Amino acid sequence: MTDEEKIIEIPEICRVEGHSAVKVNIQDNQVIDVALDVFEGTRFFEQLVVNHHYEEIPHITSRVCAICSTGHVVAAAFAIENILNIQVSEQTHLLRELMHLGMIIESHATHIYALALPDFIGAVDLLDFAGNHVKEFTAWTQLRKLGAAIQTTIGGRPFHPINLHVGGLSSIPTAEALSQLLIELKQNEANAFNTCELLSGFIPKTKASATPNYLALLPEASGYGFFGSTIISSAGWQDSIQNYQEYLTEVSVPYSHAKRSTSKGQPIMVGAMSRLHHFSKRLTPAAKQFYESSPLSKGDTNTIWNNLAQAIEIVEAIERSKNIIEKLLTEPSELGRDCHIRRTEGKAGKAVGAVECPRGTLYHYYEIDEAGKIQKADMITPSAQNSHRIEADIREVVNSSISGDEANIQSNLETLVRAYDPCNTCATHMVSVHYKQV
Amino acid sequence: MRHEKTPLPMIAVHSLTGCAGELLVILENLDKLLPYVQVVSFPFAQSKNEMRPVDIAFVEGSVSQTHDLEKLQQIRNNCRWLVAVGNCAVWGCVQAGCAKTSPQEMLKAAYGQDINFDALPATAIDKYVPVDVKLSGCPINATQFLSVTASLLKDHLPYITKKPVCLECKLRENGCVLIEKDLPCLGPVTAGGCGALCPTFGAACYGCWGPSEDPQMEAMSVILEEKGYAMDEVLGRLSAFGAPKELFSRSSNFQNRKSE
Ligand code: SF4
Ligand code: SF4
Repeated sequence: MTDEEKIIEIPEICRVEGHSAVKVNIQDNQVIDVALDVFEGTRFFEQLVVNHHYEEIPHITSRVCAICSTGHVVAAAFAIENILNIQVSEQTHLLRELMHLGMIIESHATHIYALALPDFIGAVDLLDFAGNHVKEFTAWTQLRKLGAAIQTTIGGRPFHPINLHVGGLSSIPTAEALSQLLIELKQNEANAFNTCELLSGFIPKTKASATPNYLALLPEASGYGFFGSTIISSAGWQDSIQNYQEYLTEVSVPYSHAKRSTSKGQPIMVGAMSRLHHFSKRLTPAAKQFYESSPLSKGDTNTIWNNLAQAIEIVEAIERSKNIIEKLLTEPSELGRDCHIRRTEGKAGKAVGAVECPRGTLYHYYEIDEAGKIQKADMITPSAQNSHRIEADIREVVNSSISGDEANIQSNLETLVRAYDPCNTCATHMVSVHYKQV
Repeated sequence: MRHEKTPLPMIAVHSLTGCAGELLVILENLDKLLPYVQVVSFPFAQSKNEMRPVDIAFVEGSVSQTHDLEKLQQIRNNCRWLVAVGNCAVWGCVQAGCAKTSPQEMLKAAYGQDINFDALPATAIDKYVPVDVKLSGCPINATQFLSVTASLLKDHLPYITKKPVCLECKLRENGCVLIEKDLPCLGPVTAGGCGALCPTFGAACYGCWGPSEDPQMEAMSVILEEKGYAMDEVLGRLSAFGAPKELFSRSSNFQNRKSE
């Protein structure tokens, strides 16, 4: 085998927000090179928003990604409100959080069931999954619908919300609509618990990877949460998101359309595993119970557990959503009242807004002029932050299974890549291994 | 009842450059289609995908790179009906509407001087291939999608309304946010289909369905300017979701205002 060069290619992993491929170069049974190539057509959002009025920005940035559109809308609103010094009401803040939790539930459920699970239970694809694994398929459908129902009630539709704006919502859901969500949330608790149990039973095919540098937003209140303004690192430091350029370095690589970030030169990992690593103590009791009996709580850093981490977050999101609705329904509030969003003018400035999206921290940075027009924008997606780490993980998985057969390497790699990215194309068998004589 | 041996009509769902929203809508409604069609290709949802002749091909996304164009041409050569689904495929959407410079300039700004990626100006797919049905929306409306598909399965080209959002807004008996709240509502020039979602929630329509039939862009811009919105902002709003530039150049009056 010494003169043989082996190239492993995943011709199309699909969306990091779009299309990507993995190439691994092996020589003499050693991984020489790993390249994650995101060949998605470039869309230049950071430039597209320039000269648009700040009011338009959430609607435009929503289109970066349908699955995470709520996250892009909220991060943009946070950034602009930081610049304009707008304080939204507690009710608005809670409703935004509820909407965001809807996205977390929907996205995690799709990732777990449509992507990862077919690997573990041996379903060929979604259609096979629907026909032959009815229980799991139904759980997915119900959780996905729950997430969509929450987002539709608050945002007007299941993604690309029309009701969330800089400064507040254009209308507030009625008590009846929220009570209906409460019923649906309770009906789905069993689905969420079963999902955790199902995923806890998996046996990873490859060994644990090295402990990553986990980065996550410190939740703003005392609980577990997805909003905040301080980033915390398992390397032992924390910083304000306003200084993100000091702890995140973004570089372009010649083989990919996606830029990638490192933190102080090191690959980083963001997403459900990171959040649980830092904040498991803040989980609500039901979610905490699943966490404590999981390999995650014993410090197992195998990336494959990201799917279990997501399942635990679904439980947490359902609990938190119930609490929010109960609070909105019982405390005197302005539910059902129309609200007016007025322009704030004549204040130039710059600021960052960030949220924890399903796959990790999402940053939006804007500079606006006195007319309220965007002068400069910067968006850093979770995938960009994870890509270095994905490459490092791939290297490790390939090295550890290099003596195994090709099919084995292939399936281990597919499982690994899918653990990171909720991308339905990943559900397909896309890794190919090529041997080349040199 | 369909005879057991009759093969089901074949469909394919493809994606070019976009946010994958249309794929989500189609995925969520797939259960309604599956009894009537055979899915030959849908890489978003299934593993075995073939590029072979189908009855209907749905295409999401704009053409934004050579790769998209090659794929689009293959798709066109392999389908009877080509349906552009969503605003990216029909109008180019935000990546076309908000772009102010050439992709090469944007590439340079995004990646630095020496990056040499391929990028085309984002455009609707009918710039390159004939399109049989255009289904606007960002995202599309599931009811419109299902009724278009049902029509095509019966060999009948569907009728899709392009009457303005205002019509749906009036049918819902909403108060007008443009008149009453001075919000920059683009309902008068935007194609309906969403059921006037934004005004029903008390917000201004921002044009996510693309232009309505015969949109009076000049009149719209005059009204918005009268309401106190700056002309460059008005133009930015009108074009954000991909309205083609020609729509803005019909009146010299409008041109003059633009250059002021
Ligand atoms: S609110 Fe907008 S869509 Fe409704 S009638 Fe007024 S201008 Fe038309
Ligand atoms: S009202 Fe306008 S912006 Fe709102 S969903 Fe309909 S077309 Fe889109």
